[in-house]
Amino acid sequence: MATFFEQNKRYLIWMGYILLAVVLLLWLGPLIGEKRPSRWVQTTITGLLTGGIYALIALGIVIINKASGVFNFAHGWMMLLGGFIFYSFFSSGQVSLLAAVLLSSVTVIMVMTMGSWRDLLQPRTALITLAAIIILILLMSLPGTEWKFVRAIAGGVTGAMLLGLVVERFTVRPLIGQPLFAMVLMTLAIGRLLQGFIQLTWGSVETPLQIFTTPEGTSLPTIKLDSLQELLGGVAIIQPGLLISFVLALLAFVGFVLFFRFTNVGLAMRASAENQRLAQAVGLRVRVILAAAWAIAALLATVGGVLQGGATNLSVNMPLLALLAFPAVLLGGLESISGALVGGLVIGFVQEWTNLLFPGTQAHVELAPYVLLMIVLVIRPDGLFGEKRIERI
Amino acid sequence: MSANIRPAGILDTNYAQDIALNRTRTDKLISNGLFALLLLIPLLTTEGPFGLNLIQQSWIGIIIRIAIYVIAVQGLNILVGYTGQISLGHGAFVAVGAYSAAIMARNLGLPFWLIIPLAAIFTGLVGLLFGLPSLRVKGFYLAMATLAAQFIIPWLLRYPLADFTNGSRPLEVPIPTLGPLSFASDAAMYYIIIPLSVFMMLAARNIMRTRVGRAFISVRDNDLAAELLGINVFAYKLQAFFLSAFFAGVAGALIAFETNSLSLDKFTLNLSIEFLAMLVIGGAGFPLGPLFGVAFVNLLTQDIIPARILPAVGPVLPGLLPFIDPVNINAAISPLLFGFILVIFLIASPRGLAYRWEIFKIAWKIRPYSH
Repeated sequence: MATFFEQNKRYLIWMGYILLAVVLLLWLGPLIGEKRPSRWVQTTITGLLTGGIYALIALGIVIINKASGVFNFAHGWMMLLGGFIFYSFFSSGQVSLLAAVLLSSVTVIMVMTMGSWRDLLQPRTALITLAAIIILILLMSLPGTEWKFVRAIAGGVTGAMLLGLVVERFTVRPLIGQPLFAMVLMTLAIGRLLQGFIQLTWGSVETPLQIFTTPEGTSLPTIKLDSLQELLGGVAIIQPGLLISFVLALLAFVGFVLFFRFTNVGLAMRASAENQRLAQAVGLRVRVILAAAWAIAALLATVGGVLQGGATNLSVNMPLLALLAFPAVLLGGLESISGALVGGLVIGFVQEWTNLLFPGTQAHVELAPYVLLMIVLVIRPDGLFGEKRIERI
Repeated sequence: MSANIRPAGILDTNYAQDIALNRTRTDKLISNGLFALLLLIPLLTTEGPFGLNLIQQSWIGIIIRIAIYVIAVQGLNILVGYTGQISLGHGAFVAVGAYSAAIMARNLGLPFWLIIPLAAIFTGLVGLLFGLPSLRVKGFYLAMATLAAQFIIPWLLRYPLADFTNGSRPLEVPIPTLGPLSFASDAAMYYIIIPLSVFMMLAARNIMRTRVGRAFISVRDNDLAAELLGINVFAYKLQAFFLSAFFAGVAGALIAFETNSLSLDKFTLNLSIEFLAMLVIGGAGFPLGPLFGVAFVNLLTQDIIPARILPAVGPVLPGLLPFIDPVNINAAISPLLFGFILVIFLIASPRGLAYRWEIFKIAWKIRPYSH
């Protein structure tokens, strides 16, 4: 008996999976049949649209993992902080000059001295630094409501870079070489620190971030799929905020993927992620690359925070969203950028379908992604596109 | 363990001495004396039998809280500090212990001295279930599996089991009684919780002195070598998960009986993070680590921050940093300081307070020759 099992282990396991799928279909099939086709379409669309945000969050987590081998549990709080920085520049008519000067000069100097502070002594670098600071200050202090997007984007990007660099420089770099446990706890600690800072500065009330409006300031009309009404037996609608944030999230996603594939910095990042020592041996400055990876991840977090804040609100529930992106990361594979996209979309899809099939249980919010995570961990721990690795357990 | 740091002058001649809890007679005297002093504390408050005012009543609550948390963190210490597995779901296991104790007391009417071990065993079994992924994964993946426990267990308690747990509303727990005695007040609960907490600390210490404890440490240090030595790595990992959840269950049952009212909002991911933080601040892998960490963090959050730091900082801060809203300081100061202290400890003293304590003890014993 034992030998029979050993010999046919693969087939038996596959038969088990098929059996599981059949049972699942028999269980869920009637539940799906009860709903009208229009609800199916509606659910799928909403799921995929929310999945775009998950993909963006997952990408930020994957980038940091690829570059430095750290799993950033503070990503959600970085999102919220980025969103609030954006909000501060967006909502106030005029930012105080002192804040603009401080933020831009500290950020630009930190960016320029990522490798060594001596870089500043070269006249060319010093000149670039000065020019960048002045341009940023000008952009940030543009007056009036018509310039609020420019102001907010300049402020948001600068703030995000500063956040990433500070986190890398003062908390992650001292821990290089420490065990995984210390790193995990460190990112959790950063999360608490950012939470305290956000609550101190902006409070814990929900803050609407109205970026998806018409130029007059009214909210956008919802899109109705009228032409499909006959076919589906009902109306499916698309929330415009969700659609815009999905498109922007995808654009950001594609932008970063292209950056990794086709620029020198992106190539250097991939190289140092592959093998840090080898990258150092061929003359790459791994320290700079690590700092840049954190800055980029913070930027991604800010984009995600702003888009999510625009689609719903800026609230302390947002960090939960990043915890729900971890199943997406694992599903796609820890090192895979395309896996982050697929994983994010799948998580959004599964969440919405759970909500459709089991209404009123709140199962879709936290339970469904983590049940999916457990399934992935048991069946395929490396994820769909992750590197296969042989690890001693 | 402290066994590797040993001052000159104390020599062991046999194995029993080597693994003894109290190496000298003075050690024994001090530890027993401290325990007796701890039991005397409620008698010295205004509500004690003598009506003395030597110790404030509020300290009883703080000490009880520390004693309960020490049990939970000691459980985490067995899993994280000794066996080297990451767990982000310890708060959920404490919730399982608390709610199973409450349900047993409400629906079955069992006496509390029976409930505490039963709840602990049940929690241990739940912990075993969520330890199963350690068969296939480790490191970060295992952290994710335990994080899944942190999301799945509260959901189960909140929705499908709402008939028993009252869902999102608070659940009343009957006051524990023993014959004619009723443990309603804090001072009465003190005499249940403190001896039990000391007992659990001793139990953990004793487990770590046995074959099982040594196997745990070998799994942490090098699992491949442990397997080669004939240690069934997977079985010991599962045992560690069971023990860890068992301790969490005891702590949860005590929380249920102490507060008499349970709410699921207490057992969030933040609680798990706090447990981990207490462990690291105290020193993971040291028998006294949990005590140091829990006492440090609890004194900070219960006494020092609200009573000392907040009145000093509160009025000054808005003037110093103009962007701050004074209304938010109360809510924000705790996570801010907590995160800051944890960051400082992780960078400057990753081995925790217990390690410092060992160093200090040796320096004291070999004074005035510090090297």
